Amino acid sequence: MRIPAAFRRSKGLIGAILVLSVFLVALLAPVFIPEDWATQMDMRARLSPPTWAHPLGTDQLGRDLMYRVLLGAQTSIYIASAAVLMSIVIGLPLGLISGYVGRTTDNVLMRLVDTLLSFPALLLALTISAVLGPNLQNTIIAIGIAFTPFLARIIRGEALRVAQMPYVEGARTAGNSDFRIIVHHILPNIMPAVIVQSTISLAFAILAEAGLSFLGLGTQPPDASWGLMIQASRDYLDRAPWTALVPGVAVAVTVLGLNMFGDALRDALDPRAKGGS
Amino acid sequence: MSYLVNRLLSMMLTLFLISVITFTVTNILPGDVAMMIMGTQSNPEALAGLRQSLGLNDPLIVQYGRWIGGMLTGDWGNSLVFKEPIAPLLLQKMKASALIVLFSMSIALVCAVPLGVWAAVHANRWQDTAASSASLVGVSLPDFFWGIMLILLFARGLGWLPSSGFIDPADDIWGAMRHALLPSLALGLGLMAHLTRMTRATMTGILNQEFIRVARAKGLDEGTVVWRYGLANAVGPVMTVAGLQVGYLFGSIIVIESLFNFTGMGWLTYQALLNRDIPLIQASVFVIAAVVMLANLIVDLLYVAVDPRIRLS
Repeated sequence: MRIPAAFRRSKGLIGAILVLSVFLVALLAPVFIPEDWATQMDMRARLSPPTWAHPLGTDQLGRDLMYRVLLGAQTSIYIASAAVLMSIVIGLPLGLISGYVGRTTDNVLMRLVDTLLSFPALLLALTISAVLGPNLQNTIIAIGIAFTPFLARIIRGEALRVAQMPYVEGARTAGNSDFRIIVHHILPNIMPAVIVQSTISLAFAILAEAGLSFLGLGTQPPDASWGLMIQASRDYLDRAPWTALVPGVAVAVTVLGLNMFGDALRDALDPRAKGGS
Repeated sequence: MSYLVNRLLSMMLTLFLISVITFTVTNILPGDVAMMIMGTQSNPEALAGLRQSLGLNDPLIVQYGRWIGGMLTGDWGNSLVFKEPIAPLLLQKMKASALIVLFSMSIALVCAVPLGVWAAVHANRWQDTAASSASLVGVSLPDFFWGIMLILLFARGLGWLPSSGFIDPADDIWGAMRHALLPSLALGLGLMAHLTRMTRATMTGILNQEFIRVARAKGLDEGTVVWRYGLANAVGPVMTVAGLQVGYLFGSIIVIESLFNFTGMGWLTYQALLNRDIPLIQASVFVIAAVVMLANLIVDLLYVAVDPRIRLS
């Protein structure tokens, strides 16, 4: 049985819808749901399974899981987006300079990047977070720094490829400055790769935030984040598995959406790097 | 040969940089080893005395020299939390982790390669859609979520396997395997999904190439075309990705070993980070980064051994 192309293409659409919904929830939930709904403790309904009063059940303190997971979206999305933005802000100039200038600059910068890549990203993020003291802001810094070498590496490769294009040669012959060439000729042409990589990084950043918070070295209570909710569920798995399932599914849906969207983007924007679909 | 020498020299340089980064990052920690040993409420004079005797007042570069000198000669200092010499402690935990790292890597490779090839052979048909969708879900779930689900199913639900602890294979090989299986699966499922995607992508590219069409036109049977001609060309890229995943694995073991109370390297590193055991953090971060780098070097060398095109160029 052959799967129709239209259906295969719809993967990007499904991904986009998932991502959009999660971002909308992250943006709108705090507007429509009063914050204390997520912290209100219903002592008569602790670890309650899904009921009419609590559609997704409650946690060990009788707090409503639906409101917690909806409000937790804000924290998780905010941390992941800010961390990816940070890695772009540092990695983009690094990669561009390395790829465009080449020679010694490239050698030194890439040696440094390769060394950083020897540290598992999660280990690097955990160490930075432990060093700086775990809180929301330092979680962003930790994930942002840990992801920078990946981005710098990819941007450097793209910049290197584009810098050898005839139109760049032409721009140089026409007497344009290096700065102008980088901004007007190289940057626009590596943007597709940057966008694709950022989408994929965003998926990894959501997973990293969940991992850090799960280990207690990320978001701290009373902020509600998905990783923190899964961590809290550990001691009640026997009696109340939904306390782990609800935030776990939230993470999975978000990351799945980002991956589907990222795959489709790559196929659309970057036909050379086909695959993984 | 000169390739090997070059690689080894560059490895030395990378190791040196790893040590500098590790030392620098851990030295921004507020509070120092003296404070850790004596507690925050201690007598300032005694604290100053201890700082002096530990050499914490020396310039950073001198402290780095002393630390790296110790690392190179096998004197890795003492853990503040475990009150033991670090080198034997790390070595012992490393062995425990090696068990689940190798186990999960084997599970992942054994399942992912055939699955990826199968998906590529049936590209854009239901088999491909099924395998690709499953692996997409696989890469989208955090490993600790896999871990929790496995505990719920196999430990709490069915009661087949223990959900926590580590047993030394030297003491009881059967018990060790039973304790290592769930953490290895939790690590391996995500890895398997990554490798399936990679194998499928690489094989799809290869199966569309000219020489495959020629092989088919010669009348070779499909099995030979796919496995001997196709896969032989995919081994290199897939191996490289598997090698890169070693780094990812050594990040994941921190979470998974803590979840399963599996007392290996990841668990040890987590304890060090939680308790700000600076000497232990330095040693374990350095060792993990070195192991990851070594794993990638081995994969690169294997790649050269497997692919004659690289050896010639």
